[in-house]
Amino acid sequence: MKIIALVKQILDPAGISVRRDKERVFINKEEYIVGPGSKAAIEAALQLKCDGEEHTVVALCLGKPQAEDALREALAMGCDSAYLIADKALKDADTAVAVRALAAAVQKLGGADLIVAGRQSGDTGSGQVGPRLAEALGYARVSDVFALKAEDGGLQATRRWGQGYATLEAPLPAVVTVAPEAFPARFPHGARIMNAYREWEVTTWSAADLELGEEELKPVLSMRGESFPPPLETGEVLRGDPATVAGEAVMALRLQKLIGA
Amino acid sequence: MDFSFPKEYQLFRRMVRDFAEAEVKPLAKAIDAEHRVPHETVKKAAALGLMGVPFPQKYGGMGGGETGYCIMMEELGKVCTSTATVIGAHTGIAAMSIHLDGTEEQKQKYLVPLASGKAIGAFGLTEAQAGSDAAAITTTAVRDGDYFRINGAKVFITNGDIADIITVMAVTDPSLGAYGGITAFLVETGWPGFSIGSLENKMGIRGSSTAECVFENVRVPKENVLGQFGAGFLTFMKSLDVGRASLGAACLGGAIAVLEGCTQWARVREQFGVPIATKQSVNFMLADMYTEIEALRSLIYRTAWLIDTHQPHVMEAAACKLFGSEVASRCIDKAVQVHGVLGLSRDYWVERAWRDARIAEIFEGTNEIQRIVIAANLFRPYGLRIPT
Repeated sequence: MKIIALVKQILDPAGISVRRDKERVFINKEEYIVGPGSKAAIEAALQLKCDGEEHTVVALCLGKPQAEDALREALAMGCDSAYLIADKALKDADTAVAVRALAAAVQKLGGADLIVAGRQSGDTGSGQVGPRLAEALGYARVSDVFALKAEDGGLQATRRWGQGYATLEAPLPAVVTVAPEAFPARFPHGARIMNAYREWEVTTWSAADLELGEEELKPVLSMRGESFPPPLETGEVLRGDPATVAGEAVMALRLQKLIGA
Repeated sequence: MDFSFPKEYQLFRRMVRDFAEAEVKPLAKAIDAEHRVPHETVKKAAALGLMGVPFPQKYGGMGGGETGYCIMMEELGKVCTSTATVIGAHTGIAAMSIHLDGTEEQKQKYLVPLASGKAIGAFGLTEAQAGSDAAAITTTAVRDGDYFRINGAKVFITNGDIADIITVMAVTDPSLGAYGGITAFLVETGWPGFSIGSLENKMGIRGSSTAECVFENVRVPKENVLGQFGAGFLTFMKSLDVGRASLGAACLGGAIAVLEGCTQWARVREQFGVPIATKQSVNFMLADMYTEIEALRSLIYRTAWLIDTHQPHVMEAAACKLFGSEVASRCIDKAVQVHGVLGLSRDYWVERAWRDARIAEIFEGTNEIQRIVIAANLFRPYGLRIPT
């Protein structure tokens, strides 16, 4: 079975500070990491690989040239091969363009039995790429998956359903997006880290390699600016001896209808 | 000149840091309090290749060289000196001696399981009367057909009681002295005649074991002679030369963690109505820590580069160990002062870090021995021999 894991490289949030007073996000340290959703996607794909011997996992990423590092990390984690779509023509890509590029790359790879993506990216977080890619390719789709099994031409996926979970079956090929909290990523083996940079290759494709025309590269959305949501109101601080404060807290929460009577 | 780390090392550092934060740090306090070796961590480290970082992949190692090894020791040193000591003694001196002087057969038989973490190694040099004066050992190895019979006792052996393989230095010809009369052997601890005497109850690095190893007529096949027969002293000294750089790296990590902890504390601790970070008396201590740490960092990784590019490194490695351990000790001593009485509290990290730091000035050659090594090399070009 061929599994493609979608990888997105994002700015490391640890290097960012948000200054509400200046209404600006400051980048103190420009470092890039594999987004948590993507890490979970790689992990979910690799777990399926562990279950069976004939699976291969391909890491696929759309990003800037430096996103090659994200793919090398994917190789270090255990992926078998890695492909990067990087082109200046894609720098303003919105979800529609990104999905066209990814779909073209999947076709160029000869399709897949299963595509795994994160539930949403760690930066823009639209949560659209996975589902829209399924639509573009005509694959089945399951979102926000917590447990995953793939066998005999079908997959079994457990996703959140109201207050609980539901286990769904879908035919392959399919796209699933996974919940980061359900697939904590493995640490890459040290030797694989060395080999990922010294021995193994990342293949880079341009828009031309994917035969994407000018029309297909035109984004639907344009960025007009960024703004901050209104600040949260400060809560009320209760002081006093624990028994009294606990009573007051319960009463306050009841009045707000946050807990039952 | 480019001082940035190659990308594989940057990713490796991030992996080790994440691993250390998730798996090593949470146990640091408990293994110290319970005086136990964190076997569970060793197993997890092995699964990631961390028990054989410097060694070639064809021997089960990670292929990270000394640079990779120093990076790991720095990151482990930041969160737990005990764990760094367990992995460091195993890798940096025990397995390292096989890597440096072992035959192909010995590497296949012993380095492969050690580097992959399937076996644990220890380095058997020190004896009750032979510490700094390492050549004064009295453990003997006497020829017995195709075997040697080893008799004697080693003390203060890190990992001694948990090791599967121990490299042992023994006298093979008392008339020849250190150069010619001492041979290194590879001994499996499962062999008859090997036993553990006492375990040390130490002030620091309590999450590592320090054991007395007793050899009573232990039969060792002659193919387990490590390095040249009669050149065991050189084999051991070469391993220690390399080990010293990584020991300094663990000290670097310890010092960095101390500075981070103090910077954090100085921002939140208020006296005279202001954070103590605004007090020059505290600032100066932190600035001194920072400066020494940066000097140490440069020394460590330049020495690692010398080792990886097969250049002479004896003086630099001795300087790494000497300077590293003293920087770490000075930083933690200042940290106690910055934290006041809290720095003495058993409930807080400062007190453990203070107890853990002291050993680095002693083991793998006391700092006095490092000074002798450096001085001897200063005068060697002039034909002047400094007696050790």
